Amino acid sequence: MTVEEQTREIVARITHVDKSIITRESTFKGMKADSLDVVQALVAVEEAFEIEIPDEEAQKFQNFGDFVSYVENRVAQKEKV
Amino acid sequence: MSLEGKLALVTGGGRGIGKAIALKLASQGADVIVNFFRHRDAAQETANDIEAMGVKAEIIRANVGDPAKIDEMFDMIGNKFGRLDILISNAASGVGRPVMDIDIKAWEWTMNINVRALLLCTQRAARLMDGRGGKVVSISSLGSFLAWPTYAVVGVSKAALEALTRYLAIELAPQSICVNAVAASAVETEALKFYVKEGLVKDSHHVTPAGRMVIPEDVANVVAFLCSEEAFMIRGQTIIVDGGTSVGLLALAGREDDEHG
Repeated sequence: MTVEEQTREIVARITHVDKSIITRESTFKGMKADSLDVVQALVAVEEAFEIEIPDEEAQKFQNFGDFVSYVENRVAQKEKV
Repeated sequence: MSLEGKLALVTGGGRGIGKAIALKLASQGADVIVNFFRHRDAAQETANDIEAMGVKAEIIRANVGDPAKIDEMFDMIGNKFGRLDILISNAASGVGRPVMDIDIKAWEWTMNINVRALLLCTQRAARLMDGRGGKVVSISSLGSFLAWPTYAVVGVSKAALEALTRYLAIELAPQSICVNAVAASAVETEALKFYVKEGLVKDSHHVTPAGRMVIPEDVANVVAFLCSEEAFMIRGQTIIVDGGTSVGLLALAGREDDEHG
């Protein structure tokens, strides 16, 4: 499973949104996610990929695609190390 | 009031009140393990400040809302140090909502981090303190007995934390483990800035009898005292650090009148 697929599964589980309708353009607001959903998604992704996502970075995410891109980069950096 | 040679764990020790506590304990000679969850840089900075005082510091990542992560953290402490003298259960979180909007998820998230973590951390810490005694201090809030807007679930969690503190104090007394809590009013931290920005809390320095807001160091000073042998006979108490706010409500009204009159 790719990073994007795993991230989508996590977000779908937490927001109770069908993963098939989560696209890179989807927003947390559009998924009716509250602030706790967002924190829980960040935490779950951090734990799944053993990465850290600072709040300052998370605040820049405009949509699911931004979130996935950030996670993909962090995973790639980790693999290089 | 020396804590020389003691080993302390401060949950949520990288920022705010936890950081002030970690630094205060270090200034009294304690080596400090700084637990953090989502802010590694802040925790590392705190650890650097601690080491600059000539004592040892360690940072350890763990979500105290997750029992498995608590176990991992204490396994590490047990394996590396084999002991613990002081536990500061400071890490906290919460969801700001009116009671009618609190759902199970918000309730459990808050309770697990604010209360269950005190139980689970103390259970593990007590084993590392066995035979040598120890100190446990948790951080509460005036919201445990005052009703603040959107603070319900956090306030309830703090009330439970204070009750748990009393039970722990009695049941761990035979092991010479002193358990207490410190409850503060609104403390000038990053978290408070958020509440002020959201309009949930007003800057209250002008209505605090002591004349200023509580700062993290005010809380840290009391925590450090409770960790000292001088506080040996204080058990199961919640010490309020609020500059007189909770007892000075009538005086406050006069003070405000004076300022405006």
